[in-house]
Amino acid sequence: MSDLEAYRTNASAWCESMVAAFGKAARKGLTVEEDLALGRRYQKAKFDAGYAGINWPTEYGGQGLGHIEKITFEAEEMKHGFPNVYFGISLGMPVPVLMQFGADKEFVKERVVKALKGEEIWCQLFSEPSGGTDLAGLRTRAETDGNGWKINGQKVWTSWAQYSDYGVIVVRTDPTVAKHKGLTYFWVDMKAPGVTVRPIKLAGGDSHVNEVFFDDVKISDDHRMSPVGGGFSVALATLMIERYVATDSAGFGPHLDLFVDLAKDLKLNGRPAIEDGRIRQQIARNYAMRAGLDSINRRARLMMQAGMTPGPEGSLNKLVAVRSRQKLSELALDLQGTDAFLFDEHASPKDDWASSWINAPTGRIAGGSDETLLNTIAERILGLPQDHRPDKGIPFNQIPV
Amino acid sequence: MSILYDEGQQAIATESRRAIEARISKDDLLPLLQTTGKYHEAFWTTAKEQGWTALALPEAYGGLALGLVELGLIAHQAGRTLSGAPFLTSSFGAAKAIELYGSDAQKERWLPGLASGEAIGTIAFASGPDALPAQPTATWAADRLNVHANGVSGGLFADVAIVFASTGDKPALVIADLSGVARTAVDSFDNSRCIADLVFSGTPAELVATGDDARTAALHVLALQAVVTAHEQTGGAEALMEIARDYAITRKAFGQPIGAFQSIKHRIAELYGFVELARANAIHAAASEGSSDFITAAAAARLSATEAYDTAARDCVQIHGGIGVTWEIGLHLHMRRARSLALEQGSSFFWEDILVDRLAGDVA
Repeated sequence: MSDLEAYRTNASAWCESMVAAFGKAARKGLTVEEDLALGRRYQKAKFDAGYAGINWPTEYGGQGLGHIEKITFEAEEMKHGFPNVYFGISLGMPVPVLMQFGADKEFVKERVVKALKGEEIWCQLFSEPSGGTDLAGLRTRAETDGNGWKINGQKVWTSWAQYSDYGVIVVRTDPTVAKHKGLTYFWVDMKAPGVTVRPIKLAGGDSHVNEVFFDDVKISDDHRMSPVGGGFSVALATLMIERYVATDSAGFGPHLDLFVDLAKDLKLNGRPAIEDGRIRQQIARNYAMRAGLDSINRRARLMMQAGMTPGPEGSLNKLVAVRSRQKLSELALDLQGTDAFLFDEHASPKDDWASSWINAPTGRIAGGSDETLLNTIAERILGLPQDHRPDKGIPFNQIPV
Repeated sequence: MSILYDEGQQAIATESRRAIEARISKDDLLPLLQTTGKYHEAFWTTAKEQGWTALALPEAYGGLALGLVELGLIAHQAGRTLSGAPFLTSSFGAAKAIELYGSDAQKERWLPGLASGEAIGTIAFASGPDALPAQPTATWAADRLNVHANGVSGGLFADVAIVFASTGDKPALVIADLSGVARTAVDSFDNSRCIADLVFSGTPAELVATGDDARTAALHVLALQAVVTAHEQTGGAEALMEIARDYAITRKAFGQPIGAFQSIKHRIAELYGFVELARANAIHAAASEGSSDFITAAAAARLSATEAYDTAARDCVQIHGGIGVTWEIGLHLHMRRARSLALEQGSSFFWEDILVDRLAGDVA
């Protein structure tokens, strides 16, 4: 058995041992607050077992292992539906970027360990009402205030802000230069005076995203994580940190086996739906697509194991998988006919077709919309030209609104 | 077998690409469309000289004892450049049928010639839309074969065919020497495929397998060929994606490259997705030879490769606008090939059924 295979076996066994306390059955019927409390206990258990910060430096409470161990653990963990969603953003982007760019090492270390234990949560304050994809067009501003700064403006779509202790934020510090040159990157205390968090209820009924308002929020200059005017490159670094995560060819929706089972159980025109050519074609096409993504992901893991850099085709997963999950979910509802009307707002998108369907649009927009991902593939991988950008090079305060 | 190519395999890819690109161009291929009974001689000579015909066959019969992964790499390059003859796949299918299911005498007789490329083989399983008919119209009895086998790719020049037939009420897989068989060239939209209607009339033929064994063997041979073809289709789709990309960067309209318009750049980015999924499935299928999920992997590879090549052909022409539909630019060579490869070795309908039967647990 290779070292990695041994690691996987141990991780698998540990995850199995957590199912009784933290699995789907244990979470059933909990309020979000109760589930979060359970999630904090699960995160602490992960930390104690050495599965938190797997690829982070040991000096910050991590395990000092590689990406490959991290995604190996995640692939096992993903099978069980543990309450880890509250820490995904926190440990995925803001905390790693704090480790990389935070100036006060003692402070950083204290924050990182508490985040790894699930005691503190960080959010990422990037998107604004005026735009998400056009990050550099943000309008929230920070002005100098004595030796520190004063922040005014609004962020939006901030995941888990209502439970967050801290956040990382990009703001405009100079409106007189081109838009991406006038930004600066800070961390903020989400409990500070002037910070107001207002949850947004989404189409599927849950409220994990928020509006966050800043009214004369005062921070000292030691909160700054980039040079003044150098915030855009730190923001890009934040978005690049999680390049290699365990991916799911089901697009975080139901596995194809569940659709096959449905087609075997239900009848169309008096015959099992699995015998209907239209259904068969969809199953076959979805299988081929998912098998392709699985093979891409497996090859990326093998390359990492061999010390190579995986190819850019890994970026296809979210684009291809979530879009097809949306259509397959519609088809699964079609198959059930009027029996599909019954809707459970708290069902998991991973095993309930209606939940998968109603939440699929979020998946196609959050973390890079389909259109943004296509632009990235076209420009970064294939070398096609950028779109026409009338605001390019123009000082921010002279861009026509 | 790993899905990561090793250094030797990468060298095969590089060398075969160099060899093919040096010997074949669209100017050679265009005239072949308007004649029947001709293939691109230089392509086939290259295939023989480079040992591609011998690549995946056993050493005892003059082969190089490499496998589907290596042959797939060659087929990918052949797909990029548009192979000038169908024999790399058709002979491989016939040879594998003989190697895996034939007698020692049959192997002695056919494999050395197929490995050197001096002999050409083909497969005649299909009857119209049925890639593997429940009731084959071909009949075999007393060592004689009778059937009108239509639309056999490579059939015009093949020396030996593996035929899926009925014997009594059971299916049978048989080997027939084609020297005495009447053949008529099919004037097709892709004439270098050397497609022929073959008339077997009391033709001597030897039994290879009967009953369920014959059906299992025939499906396995089709799957082996389908994986080779999937690589060829992926190569073709990849070439079209690059042609579309290059055109979109250089062609200007409204004062900017057309590739700056999202309607164009997104279409090309989508092609990238089709190509990479097809490539990943093809590699996985080739590396799965010998495993229990080989047929499933081959079906998935075949489906995504057909979709990739057809889509790339459609969209690459569309992105070119008027110039794209001209004879001279030759994009229709790929359009034609995308379709001929989609029809050989079973259409998408066939492979969808093969795949779903397995996923639904109807077939172990």
